[in-house]
Amino acid sequence: MEMSNDFVPKNTIIEKMNPNTKLLAIISLGISTLIFPNPALGLGVLIFLFVVSCIAKIQKTFLKVVLGFGIPITVMLLFIQGLYSPKNKTIIADLGFAQMGLEGVLYALKIVVTLLVFLGAFLLMNKTTHISNLVAALTDLGLPNKAGYLVLATLNVVPQMQKRMSVIRQSQEARGVETQGGLFNRIKAYIPLLGPVILSSLIDMQERGMTLETRGFGINGVRRTTYVKATRSPMDKPLNVILILFLLIVLILTLLMKFGIL
Amino acid sequence: MKVEIKDLSYVYPSQDCALRGVSLVMEGTTPVAIVGQNGAGKTTLVKHLNGLLRPTSGQVLIDGVDINTHTTAQWSRKVGYVFQNPDDQLFLESVRKEFEFGPKHMGMRKEEIGERVEYVSNLVGLADQLDTHPFDLTSTQKRFCTIGIIMMMNPDLILFDEPTCGQDAQGIRRLRKIIQELRNQGKLCITISHDMRFVAENFKRIIVMKKGEAILDDDIEKVFARTETLKQCFITPPPITRVAQGADLKKTPFTGKAFMEAFEEERERRICQM
Repeated sequence: MEMSNDFVPKNTIIEKMNPNTKLLAIISLGISTLIFPNPALGLGVLIFLFVVSCIAKIQKTFLKVVLGFGIPITVMLLFIQGLYSPKNKTIIADLGFAQMGLEGVLYALKIVVTLLVFLGAFLLMNKTTHISNLVAALTDLGLPNKAGYLVLATLNVVPQMQKRMSVIRQSQEARGVETQGGLFNRIKAYIPLLGPVILSSLIDMQERGMTLETRGFGINGVRRTTYVKATRSPMDKPLNVILILFLLIVLILTLLMKFGIL
Repeated sequence: MKVEIKDLSYVYPSQDCALRGVSLVMEGTTPVAIVGQNGAGKTTLVKHLNGLLRPTSGQVLIDGVDINTHTTAQWSRKVGYVFQNPDDQLFLESVRKEFEFGPKHMGMRKEEIGERVEYVSNLVGLADQLDTHPFDLTSTQKRFCTIGIIMMMNPDLILFDEPTCGQDAQGIRRLRKIIQELRNQGKLCITISHDMRFVAENFKRIIVMKKGEAILDDDIEKVFARTETLKQCFITPPPITRVAQGADLKKTPFTGKAFMEAFEEERERRICQM
């Protein structure tokens, strides 16, 4: 499952939206699904997310991740909760060795859809947002510059390390180190990789520190300008209102249902 | 040593087409230089010669053997590749251990390793630094260290990826000596370089790459005479050559001396015409 940020520009309206809107969408849709007492709402949200993924032209990745994660976990949870949940009262199927209860099944489905809504929404944001854009948007919200840099550096470090690893692996293969083949070969091949990876990341870190200093990263009390401007779209404002309203309505509905009014 | 590249194409996983049907034959011991703009496909091409990359279509044959039949590590006995960045290739705690690593892996005899360490360390100028940690070397020394570790394995074909990067005059002279030495030993040396003076002084045959194709492949005089094509590839011949071309000399000189000779010839010719 690919969750690292490998943003590929596809020039869709989803991409042009402000990253904060997408963050709000994750929070609003995720929490709504979490608090709502039955899985129907989550299912609806999932279908909505799928439509959004089609608009963003990443439906293939979306389906791959959601189904790839969703199917095994659904089977597992249905098995555990459906058959052995202590809440089971209404029996819907008798498998011989155990009985399937409605309450457990619903509970399992609710966990699954909640997980999938968070996963899917996060995936959508990740695939349609460049990290610098996200950080720029967060800085607009009032995130301190240094914290913003920290987010950026952390998210960037993984793909960078992967790239370096592959270059170093090639260099070592050219020296006759066998990196393919059996498990033993692979473990043996890791040792010549580790040295350069660790040393070069230490050197990188030192150089990055120096670069940041020379570019005035540590200066306090000045207003900063930014090179990357967070993207904005006319849809941001109405969407924000809708998302907040959605969360509020779901919250009120849930409370009403809890107190037995509905 | 014979390298045959037949209609080689390579498409990166990101769908970038880096090579579009390259066909070349490199044979014997005449050093070959590959030049071209960044992104022309030079490194991609060279990475096919020891199997770091596998052809998307077409074929690469080393001494008649298809590159796909062995792993890169197996090819490393025959084909040595010196990477652009020395830091990627060094990982042991002393230059001597780096030098011994490859041959030990190959199962070379101890005495032979000892002899080669002495020979190679003198050639690359690290004889006094054998017990130094590679990361304590200067960046030029590191580069010579990586050249050394590849030469230690005694491959028949050596590939240099931008060896002149960051070298001073002394380093360039040493590189020249190494290339000559390899030739004397009957090895084939293929070098990627942007330094046209270095190329002109050390190579007879030049391959010019542009957008994934080898568009020129000839003797250096003939290649540098094709000014129009070179301009399209953003390659400028060495200054002295350009002066000669500007003066409409018949020959294409690369050194001051050759320029003077060509100039004298031209003057005599013109005097005769008058």
